Amino acid sequence: MPVSPSYVSREAATNLWRNRLMTVAAILTVAVSLALVGSALLLKQGASKATVQWQNGVQAIVWVKPNAATPLISSIGSELRQSPYVKSCVWRSQPYDYNEAKHLLPADELQATTQSDYPSSYRCVLNDPSQAPAVYQQFIGRPGVFAVKYPGQQIKTMQSVIRVLQWVFLAVAVILLLSAAVLILNTIRMAIFARRREVSVMKLVGATNWFIRLPFMAEGLIQGLLGAGIAVLAVLGLYWGLGLDTTGTVANQGSILHEMAVSGWNVIGTCAVVAIVGIGVGVAGSAFAVRRFLDV
Amino acid sequence: MITFQNVTKTYKGSTVALHSCSVEIDKGEFVFLVGPSGSGKTTFIRLLLREEAPTSGCIWEAGKEIGRLPKWRIPYLRRNIGCVFQDFRLLPNKSVFENVAFALEVIGRPKHVIESQVPQVLELVGLAKKRDNLPHELSGGEQQRVAVARAFVNRPLILLADEPTGNLDPTTSLGIMRLLDRINRTGTTVIVATHDAGMVDQMRRRVIELDRGAIVRDQANGVYGIDSVGAAADTRPAVGLPVDQAAVLGAPSAIPGGTGAAHRYAGRT
Repeated sequence: MPVSPSYVSREAATNLWRNRLMTVAAILTVAVSLALVGSALLLKQGASKATVQWQNGVQAIVWVKPNAATPLISSIGSELRQSPYVKSCVWRSQPYDYNEAKHLLPADELQATTQSDYPSSYRCVLNDPSQAPAVYQQFIGRPGVFAVKYPGQQIKTMQSVIRVLQWVFLAVAVILLLSAAVLILNTIRMAIFARRREVSVMKLVGATNWFIRLPFMAEGLIQGLLGAGIAVLAVLGLYWGLGLDTTGTVANQGSILHEMAVSGWNVIGTCAVVAIVGIGVGVAGSAFAVRRFLDV
Repeated sequence: MITFQNVTKTYKGSTVALHSCSVEIDKGEFVFLVGPSGSGKTTFIRLLLREEAPTSGCIWEAGKEIGRLPKWRIPYLRRNIGCVFQDFRLLPNKSVFENVAFALEVIGRPKHVIESQVPQVLELVGLAKKRDNLPHELSGGEQQRVAVARAFVNRPLILLADEPTGNLDPTTSLGIMRLLDRINRTGTTVIVATHDAGMVDQMRRRVIELDRGAIVRDQANGVYGIDSVGAAADTRPAVGLPVDQAAVLGAPSAIPGGTGAAHRYAGRT
């Protein structure tokens, strides 16, 4: 039997209003937990972006001049591989590096650059990370070498801090999400209790189970969605407030936040995750309440 | 219309609510279900509503074996059954019209059907003028009429009434019974579980008596108790019929053929 959407939304709205205090509590809990999830995701993306060149254990990068001839490039490579400090080393072509830069550089800087004037690079894993300055000394100023970079303490600290923060955020968020689900479950249970007369009459005259259940399920869904909506606003606030958008804010120029700028797509993805988790929590809480307390 | 075949219902523990009951009720019959409290009348009604499943035995209702009905089919079964209770079970915040309309709304009937059916059935129960009143503004008898209207608005095949006059005075009760009688004459099978001896004696319809979960009497044009009209066990004073011994004394299986009991008895005269 078709259940009319207007009936479901009307009944759900009535229930929500009747139970508004509990509803507000449930929505806020969902919002706080999802805001944590969202910010953790956003910061994680920013951090991994800021440190993308230093992933897979890369401890030093030798940038090769864009106009260097091929034999010169390979001689630098063989010299690196023979160096006592270097354990292994991989060559990244101009297109690869330029592609990577597209995600890293602010739009205005990128526009001033083309692939042909972007350097290629050797990414090296060292026998001992503390020997990076020695590699620097060995190669800087060589013909064909444009620059030698190794991560500062700043990046290493940031990587480890973010790793810890991320887990703490996620753990707190999971606990809050669980309590949000329980709160939603409880509001639905109270709504069912408040309407038990109606429900018993509905059963008596032959309303289908879904007809009886749907308004209560919709109620949970709405709570989850509203919570997710608030959390999305919080994530967007963090994004713009810290100036994590790709154009970067002038204030962030040169700071780590500038490096952490993520694209609009990352933010949209994060918001989508937040919304889906919100809906999931709302539906899960109400589905459990309906199964448990609406004995149809 | 309704057939019980050796139906036994045991509740948790070892309470036997119905014990191996077999009975047959035809389409269009009017049946009183009598017996002391705890004799199994309400269980009988609950089984028909499929609020309970029989522990053993089969119940056929409107051509279906309802004990084996899948759960999701139960609402559709109940759309063929109207039900009235002693406590009316009206929704206090809805008007008379809305209470009756609710029964149609929740089974997805379109608005125009509701708007034509509800006034019609309110007319039938004599409450057309009170359609906008709330239940608490009505007398007990009027509230029960609303409940009857709600049970009947979907034109069910069967109307069940569990102590419909238990809260009402004798005059009002008579009014409700007349109403049920009128509904019965539209072809609806009516089953009334009751303690109201006067009413049963007055109506002279088929009586099924339960005692401690067993059917002890199944009598056409019967009275409430065998002793209640003195010689009822031997004769049928109202119409002067010879008593059908098998029906009065025997087990249900002793009813010849077991079908159409009331009609056949009537025919035999």
